[in-house]
Amino acid sequence: MPFDTLNLRLQAVAAASFGHCKARYGTAGAKAECEIDKDIGWKPTFHVKSGVKIIAVEVDDNLYPEILKIAAHDIGKSEKPIVVYQACSLEAFMLDKKQTQINKLKKDGFGIITVDDQNNVTIQNVAVPLVQHISEDDLDREIKGLTQKIKVAFRAAHTTYASDAGQGLQLSGQIIEALVIGIAKAMKKKGLAINPNRAVADVIDDIYAETTFAKYRGAGLGGARDFIKEFRNIASHPSGNAKLAALKLKKCKAGFFDATKLAKKLRDIAKKENLSIQFHVV
Amino acid sequence: MGSLREPGRLREIAPEKIRRNPENPRLFFRAEEMDTLLASIKRYGVQVPITVYAEGDHFVLIDGERRWRCATKLNFRSIPALVQTKPSPLDNLLLMFNIHALREQWDYLTIAKKLPVVIDRFEEENGIPPNEIELSEITGLTRGQIRRCRYLLDLPQGYREILENELELPKKAQKLSEDFFIEMERSLKTVYSRLSDSLPPLNAARDALIDKFRDGKIKAVTDFRMLSKIATSIENLDVRESKAAQAIKEILDRHSRSGISEVYAEHFEVRYDERKVRLNVDSIYEYLNWSIEQNELHFGENLIDRLRELRDIIDQLLDD
Repeated sequence: MPFDTLNLRLQAVAAASFGHCKARYGTAGAKAECEIDKDIGWKPTFHVKSGVKIIAVEVDDNLYPEILKIAAHDIGKSEKPIVVYQACSLEAFMLDKKQTQINKLKKDGFGIITVDDQNNVTIQNVAVPLVQHISEDDLDREIKGLTQKIKVAFRAAHTTYASDAGQGLQLSGQIIEALVIGIAKAMKKKGLAINPNRAVADVIDDIYAETTFAKYRGAGLGGARDFIKEFRNIASHPSGNAKLAALKLKKCKAGFFDATKLAKKLRDIAKKENLSIQFHVV
Repeated sequence: MGSLREPGRLREIAPEKIRRNPENPRLFFRAEEMDTLLASIKRYGVQVPITVYAEGDHFVLIDGERRWRCATKLNFRSIPALVQTKPSPLDNLLLMFNIHALREQWDYLTIAKKLPVVIDRFEEENGIPPNEIELSEITGLTRGQIRRCRYLLDLPQGYREILENELELPKKAQKLSEDFFIEMERSLKTVYSRLSDSLPPLNAARDALIDKFRDGKIKAVTDFRMLSKIATSIENLDVRESKAAQAIKEILDRHSRSGISEVYAEHFEVRYDERKVRLNVDSIYEYLNWSIEQNELHFGENLIDRLRELRDIIDQLLDD
């Protein structure tokens, strides 16, 4: 009997939320109390499949149980795009009055499903695959020190990223492009022979060739050149199977963080060279 | 049937090959305890083997349900297990009782639900039911624990369900505990054995007390001891039966705002305090009288000082 180690109340939560997930994602691949992967040290209460993604749900009225922390660690190393939810009774959810545990779950990328006394299911927080998740806190830490305008642009990119990692990465790439063009325009204003209207890759090459900028050829300019070459490529990677999808998401996440780091470096270059850059994302 | 005293064979068994013991009552696992065990098992593995017996193509748990659940949840490939020969139904049950009485305490309700089965099985094997001493010996429970279980066992089904539902709630949401029901039942037994004719039906009394506890009108489970003292005031304080009954009726009226401690403080507390002093005075008087009669008047300085202080304060009190 599935769920028979749960108490009666949680059995009801499990049955209702499992039913909801099967109705939403289909019954193919829906399994109760089975492993997702032999290398993941967690058997969720149930899991279903949505395309190449796996939606795994832990049913517990103890918000943010230890097993989810363990699961997150293993899933981070896994080659599968796994979305993780905690399902609990609405009563347990409401008991976290200051939302301490609820916020911890959200911050760490977990979704939350509640089931009320009448077995009504509500998705309280929608989740993305854990390998894709970038928390608001992490984002804030990454964009600390950037100008307000660039921060706003990254926040918008992050919002898109949360629902479409590839598209979010594209937007973060456009921020880098805008910064590069801004630097080129400021250099031109200073009388350097740079044409900011060329393709971004060419503009970087031009900046790269400028002798006063030789000292930035390492991480700053070189990094921007590599990133601009790469990010479109990553965003358009195929994700036909779970492994490729997970790989793409991991690359998107790394790419997003690369973009924030590069933005800081490009801002530093502009500062050091006294370039007043106009930032305008197309 | 083999003996459980024989050592089992140690084996590594896949958790999915193991089933819960049908004799094991439904347990109420505390989430906090499970989390701690889970973290420990994740880190150090299962250090103490579980105990199982083989049945057909699978194994049945005798001891170690928490460890088995953690190993299952953590997707362990195998768990160390001592494989015993299949015990007799009574041995199976008693083994679990002894494990849980001595090591991992079951909830009283869990024990209470299984005690009648132990009694029945004992009777089947021995021809007579066990008395309380025998029951204590075979289960490893103290007689006090057995009596506490019996209070829960004697609860009408509806109230047992209320308790079960409470035990399943997250700790923060729990209001009624086993202690609440045990203390309530104990006091109601004292009350109804003396005054049942003038009081509402027992279930109405239970409902009122549960409501008042949930609403905070009864502040602590220990307040029920005061309810018992109101009932026993008839013999202990020579309180009129009608007065004790009136006070208890007020407490058992779900529409009144009176809690136990308020009624007790208003009508009984001073008289109980006086009784306590009177008993102490009697005790001092007896000792001193005996000392005079026996001519044993060699008191220590400290006692003499205290007796003088006592005499002074009594003089002061009586002169006023």
